[in-house]
Amino acid sequence: MGCCLAFDLTILTPHIPFLLKGAVLTAEACVLALAGSLCIGMIVAALVTSASPVLSRIAYVYVDIFRSIPFIVQLFFFFYGLPEIGIYVGAFTTGVIALSIAGGAFTSDVIRSGILSIDVGILEAAEVSGLSKPVIFRKIVMPIVLRTSVRPLGSVFINLILTSSILSTITLNELTGSAKIVASDTFRPFEIYVILLVAYASLTYLVSLGIGALHRYLNRDLMTAGVA
Amino acid sequence: MISARGVRKSFGAATVLDGIDLDVHGGEVVSILGSSGSGKSTLIRCMNGLEKLDGGRITIDDFDVSRQKELTEARKRSATVFQLFNLYPHMTAVQNVALAPVEVLKTPRKQAEAEARALLDSVGLSARADAFPSQLSGGQRQRVGICRALAMKPRYLLLDEITSALDPEMTADVLGILAKLAREGTTMVFVTHEIEFARTISSRIVFLDKGQLVVDLPTAEFFAADGGLAMPRIAQFLSKMRKD
Repeated sequence: MGCCLAFDLTILTPHIPFLLKGAVLTAEACVLALAGSLCIGMIVAALVTSASPVLSRIAYVYVDIFRSIPFIVQLFFFFYGLPEIGIYVGAFTTGVIALSIAGGAFTSDVIRSGILSIDVGILEAAEVSGLSKPVIFRKIVMPIVLRTSVRPLGSVFINLILTSSILSTITLNELTGSAKIVASDTFRPFEIYVILLVAYASLTYLVSLGIGALHRYLNRDLMTAGVA
Repeated sequence: MISARGVRKSFGAATVLDGIDLDVHGGEVVSILGSSGSGKSTLIRCMNGLEKLDGGRITIDDFDVSRQKELTEARKRSATVFQLFNLYPHMTAVQNVALAPVEVLKTPRKQAEAEARALLDSVGLSARADAFPSQLSGGQRQRVGICRALAMKPRYLLLDEITSALDPEMTADVLGILAKLAREGTTMVFVTHEIEFARTISSRIVFLDKGQLVVDLPTAEFFAADGGLAMPRIAQFLSKMRKD
């Protein structure tokens, strides 16, 4: 066999439950962070496009800050920095919050451009029919934004899933973290990282399939007309 | 009653409405004519609160549209149909029509949707009630737009060049519906270029020129040789519109 060990996945069999546990943790963190960034993104986009210059400025500052700092630096600040001034909430919560805040900045930008692309006449029609601002936002603005922006939002969310691997640097044994442990336990980094590659690729592929299906569903009227 | 007194509106240096006085009483159909840029659409947009007045006052049943609190009441009494339909693209025809009754009038959803279907049926769209706007022709979209306005059971219908984006056949469809509404006694403020149609349904014709109200006459008088036609500006406008 010379210099190399044979490629042998069976050697990882005993570690599968441990890896699966990591995968579940990744999934949990991603689902929560996805919901978190969507909430933050919607609120921030509403503020950015609001009539109040002060609120709009504050929201812009948030987006600019969190888009200009590497995620790992934000994460270290939250996990290693904040406890120094007495703020500590545990690795998982810190990870989810950090992902939500960073993802929220990118999400809000996609939603903002979706809002700005809505035909003003549609909003005027809603306004003169007596609908309140919150109702217009919930029933008209956000559904139209979702329709037009589900694909770019999907890219942001896929990025979020990929970025979640960085949570392994704050003692969180999610998928990447568990794989690192198994790799050093078994001395089989090649096999384990092949598995990791396939796992992330499959996960994001499934998500992009879901996004595609959602896009087609939300735009079903245009699909039958053959426009999109 | 819709009442405008001394209404002024400018966009930058351009004065679009220059002291308009106009009353529209219940049951009247008032058509507003005038060439492009005369301020017709702006006047409608001031009535429904989409433009802030720079001067003067507009009230709808004594509710001042310039006051935020009263505007809500004014808007409950009036409904607007737009030139470019402005339907909600993510909702079916029925959902477009039923949204405001559910959200503003608090009509139960089932009832609102049944009423929406009945309205769509009355304009010949029962088969298209579950279609999305992108699946409808321009004329069908505008008929949905009219139903959406009527669903709020408004006392006043504000119509802003609602056939300008339609071809002649679709225009005829939409105008047929307006004629029916006029016969039923719906109060309408009708901004239009459809002179002949305005003549058949209007109780009064108002002519705007360069932001000023030039005449406000009963329809027959407006078109009479010794009435509106005696004024050179109106004669010129009418002859030009008829040539087009």
